[in-house]
Amino acid sequence: MSNNEYVVQMKGIEKVYSNGVAANQGVDFFVKRGEIHALMGENGAGKSTLMKMLFGMEQPTSGEIIVNGEKVTLTSPTVAISKGIGMVHQHFMLVPSLTVAENMVLGMEPKKGMFIDYKKAVEITEEYAKRFNLHVDANAKVIDIPVGMKQKVEILKALVRGAKILILDEPTAVLTTQETTELFKELIHLKEQGFTIIFISHKLKEIKQITDRLTIMRNGKSMGVYETKDISEQEISRLMVGRDVILTVEKEKAEPSDVVLKVRDLEYTDSWNRKMLDKMSFSVRKGEILGVAGVEGNGQRELVDMLFNLNVPDAGTITVNGQNVIGTPQRKIREMGVSLIPEDRMTYGIASSGSIEENVISDRFDKKKFNKGPLFDMNAIHAESEQLIADYKVLCKNYKQQVGMLSGGNIQKVVVAREFSCNPKLIIADQPTRGIDVGATEFIRKKLVELSREGVAVLLVSADLNEVMELSDSLVVFYNGKIAAYFEDTSVLNDEMMGEYMLGLKKQSDEEIRRVCHE
Amino acid sequence: MSNSKRMLIFELIRGAAAIGVAMLVALIFIFICSDEPMEALRYMLVAPLFTNGSFSLNSLYIMLANSTPIIFTGLAVCVMFSANQFNLAGEGAVMLGGFVAALTGIYFSTGTYADVFIAVFVGSAVCAVLMIIPALIKVKLNASEMVSSLMINYIIMYVVLHYLNNVFADGSKGSVMTFPFAATARVPALVAGSSKLTWGFVVALICTVIIAFFMYRTRWGYSIRMIGINQNFAKYSGMKVASVIVLSQIIGGFLSGMAGAVEVLGRYDTFLWRDLPGFGWTGVTVAILAKNNPIFIPIAAFFISYLQRGFTLMATYCDVPSEMVDIIQAVIFLFFAAEKFLSGYRQKLVVAAAKEELAQKAAQTATEGGNK
Repeated sequence: MSNNEYVVQMKGIEKVYSNGVAANQGVDFFVKRGEIHALMGENGAGKSTLMKMLFGMEQPTSGEIIVNGEKVTLTSPTVAISKGIGMVHQHFMLVPSLTVAENMVLGMEPKKGMFIDYKKAVEITEEYAKRFNLHVDANAKVIDIPVGMKQKVEILKALVRGAKILILDEPTAVLTTQETTELFKELIHLKEQGFTIIFISHKLKEIKQITDRLTIMRNGKSMGVYETKDISEQEISRLMVGRDVILTVEKEKAEPSDVVLKVRDLEYTDSWNRKMLDKMSFSVRKGEILGVAGVEGNGQRELVDMLFNLNVPDAGTITVNGQNVIGTPQRKIREMGVSLIPEDRMTYGIASSGSIEENVISDRFDKKKFNKGPLFDMNAIHAESEQLIADYKVLCKNYKQQVGMLSGGNIQKVVVAREFSCNPKLIIADQPTRGIDVGATEFIRKKLVELSREGVAVLLVSADLNEVMELSDSLVVFYNGKIAAYFEDTSVLNDEMMGEYMLGLKKQSDEEIRRVCHE
Repeated sequence: MSNSKRMLIFELIRGAAAIGVAMLVALIFIFICSDEPMEALRYMLVAPLFTNGSFSLNSLYIMLANSTPIIFTGLAVCVMFSANQFNLAGEGAVMLGGFVAALTGIYFSTGTYADVFIAVFVGSAVCAVLMIIPALIKVKLNASEMVSSLMINYIIMYVVLHYLNNVFADGSKGSVMTFPFAATARVPALVAGSSKLTWGFVVALICTVIIAFFMYRTRWGYSIRMIGINQNFAKYSGMKVASVIVLSQIIGGFLSGMAGAVEVLGRYDTFLWRDLPGFGWTGVTVAILAKNNPIFIPIAAFFISYLQRGFTLMATYCDVPSEMVDIIQAVIFLFFAAEKFLSGYRQKLVVAAAKEELAQKAAQTATEGGNK
């Protein structure tokens, strides 16, 4: 039977979440036995959703899943595991205070009388580690072992439970280069022993290096399945991102003047003892867009949190027009004229079960303009909401509509409407167009440029290289909590140069970097 | 059909279904433990409003009187739950509010009709101050307000009992109670007769309107609701999260205290509660029934009073125990609180809405493409 060739068949999968997001819209996903199959797509393309359904963590709204030729209903991970499916999550699911061996046998402990047979657990761990060439220290506590080994423990855990199909969710995101190389060797070893591996990633080079076939997803739909060797990186990128025409934004030359945001010697070590910000210093001037490029996890998030006092640095100073930001309540920071488009719009940007109106007035509801004595002036509030909805082209029925029910792009427009309309002096835009449709993206980018030309200082943090190079007047590259490069003029840049700085292959001299302080 | 309309209809269906299931459970119990189930059922459903086949105004008054304290506590819970603060000290606050109001009416009487206002205000204000304790513990130490408030109830109860037994008891009486409070401290009756329906009921309705305006038409109510929906969002927007959380609990304490004050000063002429009166717990049920919407609180409170009266009558005249009402309340509570109850049906609605939106968007881009 030709069907036997496929170990996993997901047909016509649709998934609508209870917040109304249609994350998968009729996706077909077929994996051959014994291959390494990449599932690619941007953030929010629906690949995690698809895999969660294959691992039984979510149930499809419609569509069917066939594993080893048998139609299955995967109601929980336990069921999925019993069908030979294992998943290694991006965030490890290990108990840090237990040893590797104890984690390995969690829930299926070998017993000696009433007690756990710990020796047996170590034996099992070592046996599997040897067989699959995944070296781990069975007696070490998980809290003490490096990230790369934790991942091996996760893979072994799945194998011990009888997984024949392994789903790896962005396995290399947390690994160093050496660890990645090692992981790839191990994965190929597993493949040779007949295991099937589904590899979620959006790193083109890795995909080309290790996978046999790939499926590309975009906006909840499958863009097709390809033999890895037959498709070029450019083509993959085009299918993933779907920008056949790169959106160009017309902009006049910036005429930056006074420094607005001044960051000096910022240092931060996170709770895992990783140095996320290392003596970071830069300035953003009135009328310019300073872009921050870099692979995610190089200190961008920590920096943005600190600029809005959502986190406190260990050392250093942050000032906006001379006023201190560190430890200042958000209300005061907003009064200084700082706006933030947060990276995680569902966590910070909106109150999802509130109406559009309630969301656009959240920073100004106590202004005199919207209050008559103790009561709200509802007419003024309705007028403001309608104005913002019109100005920012929010696609909705009216201001009473629940924000959580809007599409991603329109939710972001609600956030942007609020953050851009409060006469900001400094806008911090963190991944302002991530996961939203092309129309909304273009609109937000244009607005951002428009505001900067009117004299607003803009700090644009984006993992989208295209965006950060296109919009920024000047640009810094973050690597390992430091600025690796500063480019005063972005028009001379190309992807290749950027890549070298982003991956830490190159670094400018301290003198060159110090220019971004404008002193 | 719009999303919000769909969801509203869904919530209504869900509420009705929860009540229906609870009634069904009641029915099963009645059939199990009664020899005359049809008669019992008649008492439960019909007797609260109709005695001997004719409409009984007095019975209606009794139910309105009974709903008065739980309107107050329902509103209190509604404000606190809206800020996502599961403060349950309302129960103790009712007892303390009643006790303090009674003492004020006994020892600080001015002999004028100002007494009742002073007594109710003092009783409520003391409870408002009391609620600062769990609120501050939450805000400053991040300790669950649910646990601390629950414990506070018992502290209050034993403190009140201590002072009642050892300091303020009227030694000349057979059972433990305070001296009677001044006649001017009594909440005056609204209707003549035995129903105990007082002006307190009118105050409760006025409070409902005030709280509804407060929650939906003022900056503080708005902050409370936004914090309840998403505290991160409120913080990032620049709201004074900690102050508003404390404020919500002060208001909750004030209303709970008022429930006790109005009840004690309206129903009795002396303070004689020897145990937590239960209005605080019932307030939670009322608030959940009303979906934390102040406007629905009186309706939910009346519904609970109706049930309670039905069960009381049934217990009095038939062979069904009055504890039944607690079982029914618990079942309703369970189904209302159960997010997953009928969630399959909700999911269907969501899917339909999402598909509609996708189709709409496709149509829109098509026309936009044509226009531009």
